[in-house]
Amino acid sequence: MHNRQLLDELRALGNVHTPARVLEAILSEVELSDRYASLETALGPVFVAWNRQGVSAVMKTATPEEFENRFRERFRRSPRRAPELPRLPELFDLRSVTEFERAVLLKALEIPRGEIRTYGWIAAEIGHPAAVRAVGSALRKNPVPVLIPCHRVVRSDGHVGEYALGGSDAKRRILAAEGIQSADIQRLAQRWRPPHDGPLRAKVV
Amino acid sequence: MIDEQSLSAHLAVDLDRHFEQLVRTYQDRLYGFALRLTGCRQDAEESTQDAFVRAYRALAGYDAERRRALRLRPWLYQITLNVVRNRVRRPTHITVSVDGALGDGLAARADEQPEPVALQAETHSQLAIALARLPTRYGAAVVLRHVQGLSYAEAAAVLDQPVGTTKSDVHRGLRLLRVALQPEFRQNQLLEVGNS
Repeated sequence: MHNRQLLDELRALGNVHTPARVLEAILSEVELSDRYASLETALGPVFVAWNRQGVSAVMKTATPEEFENRFRERFRRSPRRAPELPRLPELFDLRSVTEFERAVLLKALEIPRGEIRTYGWIAAEIGHPAAVRAVGSALRKNPVPVLIPCHRVVRSDGHVGEYALGGSDAKRRILAAEGIQSADIQRLAQRWRPPHDGPLRAKVV
Repeated sequence: MIDEQSLSAHLAVDLDRHFEQLVRTYQDRLYGFALRLTGCRQDAEESTQDAFVRAYRALAGYDAERRRALRLRPWLYQITLNVVRNRVRRPTHITVSVDGALGDGLAARADEQPEPVALQAETHSQLAIALARLPTRYGAAVVLRHVQGLSYAEAAAVLDQPVGTTKSDVHRGLRLLRVALQPEFRQNQLLEVGNS
């Protein structure tokens, strides 16, 4: 065999992919893998996953298998079912989101139960007042809905907007369970319109 | 993909948060390295797993400054090589002897497990078999330099030996491979296997 051909064939032998089970086995061995269990919420039972970093996912699926598949698709790791729900860590594993999304989610975490804020409020609070749409996208990607209460963020015109855990009906239901009725959302949202939201007003000097 | 220096810096700050990223970044390289040294997918998987677990435990014992200063790539290859070396110290069955080193290296593994047909192409090419049967000293040098594409200096750092020795090991490894791939040599090998 010619030298060049041998070197080319050797190089081609480097093109291999590690089976996914290797990563899973490693994370499990060093106790960094995810466990999950069912959690009762105002929206019925959901599945919640956690690891040493904190709570990693909340999803509403019909079966544990469906949860495992969706979790694997999104995080490229395999969770293992825990016999029961332990006391959940108060931290969140937000490694799957960007720094901006992280800032949005942590700001949403500050909204107390029984209150709502607007997308524009979050945008202004995290120092990106023009990024209202991006705030909406970030909240839709919330890996831990319910626990990070993205449902407490609505549009400034009173529409409830999207929800990561089952659309706007589910969002209204969970808000109602926290004492916020649909009829009140528009009025409450008005309080949290950031100054730039709406027609620009001439500055009086 | 995150670069090596940033990853070291992240690991220095929070090992648990960034360890998964470390595995994802280097697993194909380490698995490929182990696969070409052992010629067996199962051994390669287990070696890769052992190597990362050892790396995690070592990192957990290092202070932040040491983690930050670590050159991850050669360090991880080194751990993998040690794992593979420790795993393959088992009795082997010598089929052919051309010279001392080659005969030892071409010993067939008696305990090799059959693999699914679809995966056989990955490990059953003549070159892959010959490579896995080289003595580890030459096999590791050839795989690091010509399969993984490391520079001689990097390969020498992994092998913890002078660059000149590494070049000489790569050269000898390639020569042994060429001999092993000659048709008449393969023929002899088959006859030997058939008679054993």
